[in-house]
Amino acid sequence: MAAFGSFAILLGLVLCAYNLLAGTVALRQIAVHPDSTAMPERLAETARRAGIGSFVALTCAAFALVYCSFTNNFSVSYILHHSNRALPLPYKFAALWSGQEGSLLLWAWLLAGYGFVLRLRHKVDVKLTAYASTILAGIQIFFTLLLVFAAPPFALVQGAVPADGFGLNPLLQYPEMVIHPPMLYLGYVGFSVPFAFALGALMMRYPGEKWIHITRRWTMVTWLFLTFGIFLGAHWAYSVLGWGGYWGWDPVENASLMPWLTGTAFLHSVMMQEKRGMMKAWNVWLIFVTFMLTILGTLLTRSGLVSSVHAFAESSIGSWFWTFEVITLSVCLFTYLRNRDHLRTEHQIESLVSRESSFLFNNLVLLAACFTILWGTLFPIISEYVQGNKVTVGPPFYNRVAVPIGIFLLFLTGIGPVLAWRSTSFKSVRKNFILPTAAGVLTAVVLMAAGMRPWTDVGTLYSLMAFSLAALVTTAIASEFWRGARVIQRHTGKNLLFSVVQLTRRNTRRYGGYLVHIGVVIVFIGLAGSAFNRSKEREMGFHDSMSIGPYRLVCQSYTQDSNANYDSEYELLNVYQNGKFLLRMSPERRFYHASQQTETMVADHSTLQRDLYVVYEGKNPDTDQPIIKVFINPLVAWIWIGVIVMALGTLLALVPNMSAAQGTAPSRRPPVRAEEGIPQAAGVGD
Amino acid sequence: MIFAACAVLLIGIFIYVFYPQRKAEEQTQKTRLEFLRERKDVVYENLRDLNFEYRAGKYPEEDYAAQRAALENEAAQIVAEIDFLEGDVHAA
Repeated sequence: MAAFGSFAILLGLVLCAYNLLAGTVALRQIAVHPDSTAMPERLAETARRAGIGSFVALTCAAFALVYCSFTNNFSVSYILHHSNRALPLPYKFAALWSGQEGSLLLWAWLLAGYGFVLRLRHKVDVKLTAYASTILAGIQIFFTLLLVFAAPPFALVQGAVPADGFGLNPLLQYPEMVIHPPMLYLGYVGFSVPFAFALGALMMRYPGEKWIHITRRWTMVTWLFLTFGIFLGAHWAYSVLGWGGYWGWDPVENASLMPWLTGTAFLHSVMMQEKRGMMKAWNVWLIFVTFMLTILGTLLTRSGLVSSVHAFAESSIGSWFWTFEVITLSVCLFTYLRNRDHLRTEHQIESLVSRESSFLFNNLVLLAACFTILWGTLFPIISEYVQGNKVTVGPPFYNRVAVPIGIFLLFLTGIGPVLAWRSTSFKSVRKNFILPTAAGVLTAVVLMAAGMRPWTDVGTLYSLMAFSLAALVTTAIASEFWRGARVIQRHTGKNLLFSVVQLTRRNTRRYGGYLVHIGVVIVFIGLAGSAFNRSKEREMGFHDSMSIGPYRLVCQSYTQDSNANYDSEYELLNVYQNGKFLLRMSPERRFYHASQQTETMVADHSTLQRDLYVVYEGKNPDTDQPIIKVFINPLVAWIWIGVIVMALGTLLALVPNMSAAQGTAPSRRPPVRAEEGIPQAAGVGD
Repeated sequence: MIFAACAVLLIGIFIYVFYPQRKAEEQTQKTRLEFLRERKDVVYENLRDLNFEYRAGKYPEEDYAAQRAALENEAAQIVAEIDFLEGDVHAA
């Protein structure tokens, strides 16, 4: 099977190379001789089919690796190092992406999968898709070259084959790790598609903004995967690393956040291009940078340039990624310089108080956040180069900069939707902002009356600001729904709930977007709770107890257990809340036989108010008593709920508008009266 | 067995890629007229959106009038150019 896998990768490489070569020749011939015979188009068609074929080949390769893992084929070096006989089946499947070679194969396969869909849907715009397919083939070549020369997943073990494998890294033996990496990779890889379309559109000087329309769903789906991937990673860190937090500003966490920030900026600023033909060069560079940041993320993960919890993936393939980054930047720069006149804006920003300005601010703030994180992440490398010693930047640096930026972004989330395109008069601002502002101020007053003291420390101040802005944004968005629904209600005579549903179905992109903003607000509420985290640590033997917040924990027993995969130590704790029995928790520490590594299994009782988070830290060697650390983390559950709301909002935005879905013919004339806005309100309006 | 699987994969993909096509999809260059039609649709949608938001009470009368005039002006220019180009197409 290993030979089959290697052959399939090699075949994939050949097919991608053919796609790139034949595609380029065909596109060049069509560009130079537009009225020639059908030969170049036939050549382009074979290139497209080769791209589709590369997906088939790489699917076979991925299947072969999973098969080797399931059948304990330890003659394959990758399986020997990332699996063992006692490993549960889901983790054997996850072995596909648990190491360097496998995860690169997953990347190449997902890229081919995206390319497969793109090439199947080529009729949406044959020429533009041919450009995008050819560019995508270039990216595919890079990853398949890596698989053939730098990190072959089917390399065989030299000498005698061991009877059992060395096992999977214990950090990865957690259910979320079966879905977190594929989600993240789907996000990373997915940005290749809008990148390929943007670069292709610029190369062919594509007239108009239809390429944005074509890639909109791709970008949103990709963004959704990346969002899910990031938050699943945060949840995994929270549940497995046992330090009581979910985000440690680890370089690899940062690497996933950076393209998310630029991708979010892109999703917003393309609306300006679609609606008003503005920010064309900006948008093209945003997606170029987003793509390059996804590669940088992989570079940081793989090269070991910076130390990280993901150090298990370190290797020496960094130079390959540097080379690819330089080539990508050169191609982008060359194409941009050659065609920059094509990106001339059709309109200018007319007023500082307008939807366009709010989008621009949003973009600048997101990019400032991205640059800050990039600077902090690369600072150890820069400091080593300049001073000769590695200076690592810790969470205080990021928190000092990123928290105010986040709060300003939250503010923009609220004001953007209520500003008008072009310009907003003072009268309009006053009219639309009174209620949200009042809600924000009222929330601040109530919280301070309830005992919040923002002047005591900066964390509390930020929390108060986040809660108040959350109220402001929620009110602003709710009033958007209410106003729109009232129009529908007046027109149809139905109830308000029906009208809200109708309104949303008429413009899913806009109202789905609002739902995403509500999700962001909920996430911020959860983040704001971190200012009030508390923890306690002590030895807890039989019947020892510890009180924290409203909880009292009493040790019932502590013991050991063993199975084929690991030995474990755990403690049984009865938890009482306000004197009443609540539940039993069992924090655990495992020792994995194959990898000879230990791992923490946190016990977490999560409610909307707070998480009771209990960690078994090990035994005190002097007393042989377990050490238990307990955290009270307020509002953490809101983060995960917020992410689900963001996902639902994105899914809603992906649904076609009601009139579009029902095949309503587009209007042949402009609406001449205000009333005409009602039945046809299914436009792209944002 | 492995050799046979490799051969099947190779031959299958080779046939799929190079199987003669009856008619390849034509790669046409988008015309100015198509671009203007797209643009017209966008401006109309902007107008509908503006109308809806005005009806929702989001904008005062004077803001609405000014923005509407600007959008209608833009639409008129696009429609005039479309009419001119369509006239050329029909004449040809």
